Amino acid sequence: MAGTFPVPAWLGSVATALALSAGPASATGDKALGEYLSSECTTCHQSSGRQVGGIPAIIGHPADQFIALMITYRDKQRDNQVMQTIAGRLTREEMDALAAYYESLKPSR
Amino acid sequence: MQINRRSVVLTGLSAAGTFALGAPGVLGQAKPRVVVIGGGAGGATAARYIAKDSQGAIAVTLVEENESYQTCFHSNLYVGGFRKYEEIVHGYDALAKNHGITLARARATQIDRDKKEVVLSTGQRLPYDRLVVSPGIDLKYDSVPGWSKEVEEQMPHGWKPGRQTQLIKQRLDAVPNGGTIVMIAPPNPYRCPPGPYERASMFAHVLQQAGKKDAKIIILDPKESFSKQGVFQADWEKRYRSMIEWLGPKIHDGIKSVDPKTNTVVTGFETYKDCAFVNVIPAQMAGEIARSAGLAPAGGYCAIDAATMKSTVDPNIFVLGDACIAGDMPKSAFSANSQAKVAAMTIRGELTNARTFPARYVNTCWSLVAPDDTIKVGGRYEPKDGKIAATETFVSKPGESAELRKENQAENMGWYAGITADMFS
Repeated sequence: MAGTFPVPAWLGSVATALALSAGPASATGDKALGEYLSSECTTCHQSSGRQVGGIPAIIGHPADQFIALMITYRDKQRDNQVMQTIAGRLTREEMDALAAYYESLKPSR
Repeated sequence: MQINRRSVVLTGLSAAGTFALGAPGVLGQAKPRVVVIGGGAGGATAARYIAKDSQGAIAVTLVEENESYQTCFHSNLYVGGFRKYEEIVHGYDALAKNHGITLARARATQIDRDKKEVVLSTGQRLPYDRLVVSPGIDLKYDSVPGWSKEVEEQMPHGWKPGRQTQLIKQRLDAVPNGGTIVMIAPPNPYRCPPGPYERASMFAHVLQQAGKKDAKIIILDPKESFSKQGVFQADWEKRYRSMIEWLGPKIHDGIKSVDPKTNTVVTGFETYKDCAFVNVIPAQMAGEIARSAGLAPAGGYCAIDAATMKSTVDPNIFVLGDACIAGDMPKSAFSANSQAKVAAMTIRGELTNARTFPARYVNTCWSLVAPDDTIKVGGRYEPKDGKIAATETFVSKPGESAELRKENQAENMGWYAGITADMFS
């Protein structure tokens, strides 16, 4: 199912941020913390992986790409006021946690 | 009580012993019990997250008298012709089927805080270890002279879901070219701060599309200013020219009375006679069950602890959404959904020793002004000095690109699908 899942456009545009992000890809973040933090994401990004309108699916994505994207929003290198606001208060530990949690999820359909 | 998921109840009972030792907050009892009053953005989300994340360790009952839920959010898109009515109506069956939540189709008539029981309209009493109260708002029918519950069909409010929402659309569609719509906006604090102004935008859009370009919309506001005012007014001028006229209290000099028989609205400055449609959005307060339980003062809202969403008057009760005083957070579905997750986490921590984390909140409100032209306001929030305080906020600006506004609308539609899945799936 993951193979048929639409690849968000942003995945192709985070290479620079990925190169700049501190540390290695982290799938070892605190998943319990990540699950709690993810409740802030699930108001828009569906847990099932379903993608509707302008809200991309974010489950199952590699942790390093997820972190790189959060950094670009936190640093306001990418436009989107909602995401800049949410990423703006994430510590690196929290980004690791969220990334580890979302990487562990698989689309349910 | 009508429980329409008897199999769920039986499954819950059979599983009770399994989790008895995992419930330190209520030792000696089969399974900790959470009752949730209200199946909206606060209540449905809380019920779902408690049941989902406790994986059967907590018995969750959702008390909701309606069979389905019509969202107030996106009801303006229905009024504007951007959504079908059935698209904003959602059922509760998946909450029972997917998460084992017991659905109690009844009205909560009393909270017996001493006995920790909720009394239902059926006479049934539901005991609880923790109670979530999320009843939304009640309208203050005496807040506009001449207006009352008896005349809410003639001068609809459309601020509570169901028939009232449909009445707004019917009345709008019947406005003739050259007709005048008067909207009386509510005083703070009220449900959905940008809502009246998004609705006025949808009124103008529908009239414009129907070629009724000589119709007028007059907003009589008791407030000096309103949510996203600068960008709304700039966009109204651009999109609808002089169709929408907003009058603050210094201009209209007070809303003196309305007369439903003659469709007249009297202000200190002017009398509007023979209006084609008068939309009265009155002052509001916490839902009746919260007030009668002593969780809110007469005519007011419920004070909560900013770190947990607990009522400040009863540590076993959590109040969510429009009924509570959430500091800098607006009364919105997004806010209620966010608050529900803090409450759900706290409840699981207390009843099953689940791990807890510091509370954090978030909100965004999108408003459609015209086709593919959506503005937004939002922020993030944390407990600070005893209230939920904004730590960063944003708001759309006049003159933004058409591309950005179109992206906002795509986001708005995606958010709706997301939050309703987060509440009901």
